[in-house]
Amino acid sequence: MTTYIIRRLLYTIPIVFGVLLLTFVLFSLVGGDISIEIAGKNATPETINEIREEYGLNKPLFLSWDSQFINHFKSALTFDFGRARDREPVIDKIKRGAGPSLALMVPMFLGEVIISISIALIIAFVRGSKWDILAVVICVAGMSVPYLSFILFGQYFLAYKWGLFPVFFSPDLIIPQYVVLPVLIGIITGLGGNVRFYRTVMLDEMRSDYVRTAFAKGLGTGRVLFKHVLKNAMIPIITQVVMAIPFLFLGSLLLERFFGIPGLGYLMIEAIGSRDYFIINAMTYISAILFVIFNVITDICYAWVDPRVSFE
Amino acid sequence: MKFVIVSLSVLFLLVAGCDGSRSANDPNEMVLYHVLYTKIKGLDPGDMRDVYSMMVASQMFEQLYQYHFLKRPYEIVPLLADGMPQVSDDMLTYTIKIKRGVYFQDDKCFPNGKGRELKAGDFVYAIKRIANIKYLSPNWSMFDNKIIGLDEFREYTKSCKKLEDVDFSRAVEGLQRPDDYTLVIKLKKPWPQMVATAFADISTSPIAKEAVDFYGKGITGHPVGTGPYKLGVWNRGSYIELVRNPNFRGELYPSEGEEGDAEAGYLDDAGKMMPFADKVVWTIIEEYQPGWFLFLQGKTDASVIPKDNFDEAITQNSELTPAMKQRNVHLKTFDDPSTFFLGFNMLDPVLGKNKPLRKAISLAIDRQKFIELFTNGRDKIAYGFVPLIMDSYDPNIKDKGYARYDPNESRKLLAEAEKIYGGKLPVLKIAMPGADTFSRQYGQFIERQLKEVGFQIELEFMDWPTYLGKLNTRSLQIFASGWSGSIPDAQDFLQSFYSKYWAPGSNSYNYLNPEFDKLYEKVEVMQDCPERRKLYRQMELMVLEDYPAAFINHRVAYALVHDWYKNYKPHAFAYGLSKYRRVDLAKRAAYKELLKTIK
Repeated sequence: MTTYIIRRLLYTIPIVFGVLLLTFVLFSLVGGDISIEIAGKNATPETINEIREEYGLNKPLFLSWDSQFINHFKSALTFDFGRARDREPVIDKIKRGAGPSLALMVPMFLGEVIISISIALIIAFVRGSKWDILAVVICVAGMSVPYLSFILFGQYFLAYKWGLFPVFFSPDLIIPQYVVLPVLIGIITGLGGNVRFYRTVMLDEMRSDYVRTAFAKGLGTGRVLFKHVLKNAMIPIITQVVMAIPFLFLGSLLLERFFGIPGLGYLMIEAIGSRDYFIINAMTYISAILFVIFNVITDICYAWVDPRVSFE
Repeated sequence: MKFVIVSLSVLFLLVAGCDGSRSANDPNEMVLYHVLYTKIKGLDPGDMRDVYSMMVASQMFEQLYQYHFLKRPYEIVPLLADGMPQVSDDMLTYTIKIKRGVYFQDDKCFPNGKGRELKAGDFVYAIKRIANIKYLSPNWSMFDNKIIGLDEFREYTKSCKKLEDVDFSRAVEGLQRPDDYTLVIKLKKPWPQMVATAFADISTSPIAKEAVDFYGKGITGHPVGTGPYKLGVWNRGSYIELVRNPNFRGELYPSEGEEGDAEAGYLDDAGKMMPFADKVVWTIIEEYQPGWFLFLQGKTDASVIPKDNFDEAITQNSELTPAMKQRNVHLKTFDDPSTFFLGFNMLDPVLGKNKPLRKAISLAIDRQKFIELFTNGRDKIAYGFVPLIMDSYDPNIKDKGYARYDPNESRKLLAEAEKIYGGKLPVLKIAMPGADTFSRQYGQFIERQLKEVGFQIELEFMDWPTYLGKLNTRSLQIFASGWSGSIPDAQDFLQSFYSKYWAPGSNSYNYLNPEFDKLYEKVEVMQDCPERRKLYRQMELMVLEDYPAAFINHRVAYALVHDWYKNYKPHAFAYGLSKYRRVDLAKRAAYKELLKTIK
């Protein structure tokens, strides 16, 4: 197993290198010179040259030890991403945004997974009944309503009209207070798609012989569903769940924006809008690392939950 | 439900490493609650050009001069200066006395953490800092070729390898400080707008050199100024809290204003010591809906009126709706010094040499319809480019007909334009500075109007950096844009047609008119007088006659304020206004009770 993990981790090196190369090529060659944009209006050519020097844009792209790519590579390896265009160190922005983003995304994610798997198990059990049909209709309807509508509706009724939650972030509130409503909205909006997916997974299992055998032997519904069916359905669930974890780091743009949560989703979108390549680079790189790490974890989990999968 | 909330709360605490609840504000503490509709970029005055950063930083930094809070027309009065400048007869030397007893806020950058006294040298340092090319200040253009020796200082900084290598003790002939309380500025040529442009602007605010040296590039997050407030908390992207600066010398609320100010209650606090509020809090809310809800809940003191909520707040007669009156909300409106337009690139081979074409575009746009559709009828038609708020605004400009809507005339001009072009005109490209809903709707409106008279139009929606990059490299054909004046002098607008300021300068149209240039060079060194005003109007007409743009609208700002929020008199050019604001705490508390009855 150790050999397998080491081998998989070694595979991540070229992947991460590829990501670095790709982002560099995209931003440096395709994106063009950002110095004019940084200089803004009324900038003199001298100012633009100084900006090029300050950001190292006047250095050769590849063929030098002091080239832009080598510096890009070095900064990634040392996690020293330099300063964003507002001159704040990029790493400080990421550190500050990670907490609020995770505070929003982790409970939302856990809530979504637990609730949707539970509902999926139940409606898979009553498959074909009016409850199953009703659940599927609600899921499809939920998936059809735009995300923004849930946010506007939730903020207007639950927060503003009925006063159950704060409308927006306030310095006087602690994180749990101002994150509850966006988390609830996030869970509700995610339920439609997730319940449908997990229901399909569960249905595949429910038709298996061992389920019939378990019921024939007199096992209770709960035991059959949550012990046997759930365990056997773990492979697709793990793929769905573990591979979603790295994206939690990226936060949620709309929820963060509407509820004033200073997270990373908004940071990333803003950086794209203002072409702050320093932030985009850092976020892409960290996401890539998280993605490959969780990919390895997914593979390990497969073997852990399914004895048929081995590390050979 | 409770169990779920409690469980989730525990989880959030675990995940976020929450620092626990901040203590609620003392009910007797006077706190101003403001909203910022975008994040601020930084709090370093020399490196600042965006309005939102200026709104916050102006409470912590002061300049030599400021605008009188109440008087209209706008009048400049001393702030850190001890009186108005003494100007030599040739208008080339300004001697400015500095107030004594002004101290920087306490900060660990000073010995023993105690703020030191402000000296004339601090102003010299602030200006040299802007001139330092390694600092990359966006404010350099205001000093370019103005002060004797300053351009040479900038040249010298080019030879320095790093920002830290620049020797600020290097003499600049035009920036002298004969003693610690006197600043002498020597100009290359008269610059009558200098006080308004440079010394009533936050960019020249003194910032302690000790702070710059101590914090280095982190200075943007560590403002050390002399203003009434100092930074308490800056949770970037979320909120900013300023607290009273105990070192602030105090300033008296003005005792005179314009007619009607006393009746409006703006002189109730005359002669009282400012600032009134203990804290100023800005919450950053980039969506209008939550900002509007917070205002209605009484959690912010003032609000703009979002387009979608306009009918909820304002009647067709431009008055408050009964629902707003019930909440004791007041409406404040004022003309914003801004002009929005469709600019034409005069270097474009199709547009540049075809005046009938440019005129045809201008006459094809129904400006009134645009204002009704996009601004709820709030804005005013831009008959020229000088905003109504300026002294030199020509009251007869409407009669000249440059902004009239005349589709028939436009069609005739289009035919004439095609003759000049020598055939059917190609598709005209209009660049929009954004792909958001407003930009799309605005673009589609213009497209439809122009198509109605026979134009072929292609809209290009760009993100702001792309748009700016293309504008600066003169590669846009037609562009939607706007211009906002920073001083009450139309020169701010006229300069954008001066040929020496072609893009990437302010002349984005790349307009060239030698006659206009001659007049511009004449008026830019003239003091304000009736003759200059007459020349300004003449110059405006010269530009309008050439149609380098189709000017569309001047913005009219609408703001709603709660009745507890005192001394909220709109000001078009000043940002450091929190010191004047006062809150009637009893009325604020009463609003909570009122809300119960409304609900």
